[in-house]
Amino acid sequence: MVTAVEPWARRVLLCLPLIFVAIFLVVPVGLTVMISFLQRAGLRFLPAFSLASYASLIGGARLEVLRRSLLVAIEATALSLIIAYVIAYFLARKVTPAAARIVLVLFTIPFLINYIVRDVSYTVLLGRTGVVNTALMAAGIIDAPLDWLLYSDFAVLLGLISAYMPFMIFPLFLSIGAIDRQYLEASALLGASPLTTFRTITLPLSLPGVFAAGLFGLVGCLGESAVPIILGGVGYELIGNTITSSMDVLNYPLAAALSSVVILLMLLLMLGWYLVFDMRSFLGRILEWRA
Amino acid sequence: MTRVNVNRRDALRLALSLSAAAGLGLVPPRAHAAGTINFADIGVGDPGGDWSKFEAASGYDVNLVSIGNAPSAVLNVLVASGGQGTYEIINIVGGMQKPLVDNALVEKIDTGRLPNWAKDTYVEEFLGNGKPGFQFIGYDNDIYGVPTVLQGDSFAYLPEKTGKLDSYAALFDPKWKGYVALEDNYTTAGQKTALYLKKAGLAKIANPDDMTKEEFKAVTDFLIDQKKKGQFRVIWNSFEQAVNLITSKEVYVIDCWEPMVFVAKSKGMDVVYADPKEGYLLWAMAAYLVKNPNRTAEQTEAAYKLLDFMLGGWYGAKITNLRGYMTNPQAETYAKDNPSEFPAEQAKRVAEITENVRRKFSQGGTWQNRWPTEVEFYESEWSRFKAA
Amino acid sequence: MDEPASRWRRWPMWLIIAVALAFLYVPLVPSLVASLQGVEPGQWTLRWYGELWRTPLVLGAFRASAMIAVLVGILAPLLGLLAAMSIRELGVPRFILLVMLLPLFIPGVSMGLASAFLFRLLGIAPSLATIVIVQTLWALPFATLIILTAMTTFDPQYLEAAYLAGAGRWRAFRDIELPLIASGITGAISFSAILSINETIRTSAVQGPWNTVPTYIWSTYRQVGLSPVLYALMGLIIIATVVIVLSFLLLGREARPR
Repeated sequence: MVTAVEPWARRVLLCLPLIFVAIFLVVPVGLTVMISFLQRAGLRFLPAFSLASYASLIGGARLEVLRRSLLVAIEATALSLIIAYVIAYFLARKVTPAAARIVLVLFTIPFLINYIVRDVSYTVLLGRTGVVNTALMAAGIIDAPLDWLLYSDFAVLLGLISAYMPFMIFPLFLSIGAIDRQYLEASALLGASPLTTFRTITLPLSLPGVFAAGLFGLVGCLGESAVPIILGGVGYELIGNTITSSMDVLNYPLAAALSSVVILLMLLLMLGWYLVFDMRSFLGRILEWRA
Repeated sequence: MTRVNVNRRDALRLALSLSAAAGLGLVPPRAHAAGTINFADIGVGDPGGDWSKFEAASGYDVNLVSIGNAPSAVLNVLVASGGQGTYEIINIVGGMQKPLVDNALVEKIDTGRLPNWAKDTYVEEFLGNGKPGFQFIGYDNDIYGVPTVLQGDSFAYLPEKTGKLDSYAALFDPKWKGYVALEDNYTTAGQKTALYLKKAGLAKIANPDDMTKEEFKAVTDFLIDQKKKGQFRVIWNSFEQAVNLITSKEVYVIDCWEPMVFVAKSKGMDVVYADPKEGYLLWAMAAYLVKNPNRTAEQTEAAYKLLDFMLGGWYGAKITNLRGYMTNPQAETYAKDNPSEFPAEQAKRVAEITENVRRKFSQGGTWQNRWPTEVEFYESEWSRFKAA
Repeated sequence: MDEPASRWRRWPMWLIIAVALAFLYVPLVPSLVASLQGVEPGQWTLRWYGELWRTPLVLGAFRASAMIAVLVGILAPLLGLLAAMSIRELGVPRFILLVMLLPLFIPGVSMGLASAFLFRLLGIAPSLATIVIVQTLWALPFATLIILTAMTTFDPQYLEAAYLAGAGRWRAFRDIELPLIASGITGAISFSAILSINETIRTSAVQGPWNTVPTYIWSTYRQVGLSPVLYALMGLIIIATVVIVLSFLLLGREARPR
């Protein structure tokens, strides 16, 4: 059988992912931050330190765009988390593994269809003369088509939730399913109501999955450019769109500055998470590892 | 990357050998092609994938790569992604010479090498040096772009809902509140609004095609005001979306491009592309020759052949038919003279479209400016409009 | 699974799931319908499915996307597995986790541009490789998190037992741990593949002369409108997936009882 790899070779192997990320992410991001401080001259940059980009960022409409992007991302993530958690809990605890597997797969199939095509389909369905409005009017529930179904906050939230919620189910499912039944049984034996058990045992122990899911949702929604374009209303502009449009006029330092601000925000969020939650509970048994 | 001619049997084999091909690159070039021209295009310049006539004449394949029309997409393609070494020709809406030339990304066109150039009377007529149209293909008195397409834009409307409309005022008419859509583009929607405001005397604007900061701010303030009143249903920025807005009757008046009207009409919609009294937004596509010091002379010669081909009758007729834009003078005659390739109704369509666009050019309006002096200000103002 | 409450009390949950699934599947219908529409309104036709094979651009994009998805689906989970292992072995778990999660924090647009500049700096021409790199980077945090989540429940005592029984590290890992975290690994593989086939913004910055399905759709959507051939492609993918998934499930059913 294959013998153990040399210890040093093993170390190198394990460092591969770090090296990969270092080269292909840290360096380019470093470049981005550097560029945000440069002065621009057309497509080239002058090696001159300048805060002009940040000044225009704070002074202008971009700040508003940032605020709105964060708000929308948080809303969408929160809603998705709730829905996903409920579904994941049900699948993990109340359903046979076989059935759970089938349902999980069912949730992934729609993603083989390009999300742009899916969002375009939503516009067809939700428009003033779309299927939903037509059906509602035919049933006599409303007199005039509902304008807010499309090109509105509702539509954008729908687009974001449908894009990310199904992905959130999986890590939540793993996390909840991994909670040792004995804890729950013990809690019940000690007289706790199901709600208390949930609150004190299940929820905290499922936090690793909640974190993974929430992170993915938040960052994904924040980086979205397509959904606001396809489903958003009058000039719905989120961070992704505004970065693109500033690049459109070759204002790379401004684009870099916008990116840097978003990155900084996300890192602060992560820092906050590290401080609030004890990573040990997340890493769980991993930390009991002894080489 | 070489274009591979795939029939059903090949496609099946293809699917089976997917993993084997991974990482090894694609099928080697066909034996008889002397080489490939990489052609970046925004989708308008694609003659339905059929480059056979060009390949037969020159021995070169054409590999068409879809890119976006936004300046950032173009520049990213050429600058950041090493596109200079990758593409020979880039075919986009013209007017981008300043950033492209200033950054040494494109070469001057030696029009002497293009036999069809002299035959293209449109160049002298509309795009000659000294005329405002020159900014679409030239810079500093030199020619950089080959005009493959010419067009005049206005807006579209559904006559059954609005009756006949003949002014951009319709876009801001409170009668259609909530049933209007604008394009998300300060060089089209912004400029059309400016044209309207100027002609209607609602704002003092010297040149809609190159506005000062104050002038554009006035335009933006006007638009924000309209937006807050709920005048606009949506600000669109994709072809598909605009067509859907028309065919689903989501809006009645829409600032858009004429091909969208053609597509909607083909689906049975009663929609009209307006002839506003203020005039049209005139523009042209330009095919640029990418600057690449490492390109061989043969490759450059082949690129020139492609440029010439795009000024020719067959290509012109094909594009006019597919996209609804005017191309070059030879298109009309070619379509008429070759009924085997262009059946009667197609030839008629080419003639009609050409006639229509010529009429627009003679009426005039304002030439779209893709890179105005204050373009950065335009962009941040437009951001303000969208965030309002 | 908890003790089943009487079956009928479960139906509200199933209803919720059904509604959620409905929201996701409903948009597939207009696409399918569009793929079957003829040129005249009201016509039904299969011709776009045939035309698909004669449209080299779309086929080329599909091929490229498939190849990239396979490569990313292998590379990202692999690196993710190594990363998860390094988190537990190298002694600085929180630092490594932070690094692995970094790609999540960079907006797609910025990451694409930054990567493009990096490649240009290094003189690397755009190719399938650059696309794979950018997409693997994007999929890496997800793969790592999923495998990590699966690992948090894995009790290292099993491995200790294996060592005591005389197994080498690799053997112990392969026979004991791998099967228990298998669901995490397959999850990471599917996740990475799905992320890859939907990835648009980062890819478009480093694609060079290559089209992928999402970048092609994005650019035609904006410039000339979606063609029925694209819908036919989507239709084919739907049908193919359903077939694969069904057969998978049926085979799985026969393989039980465990």
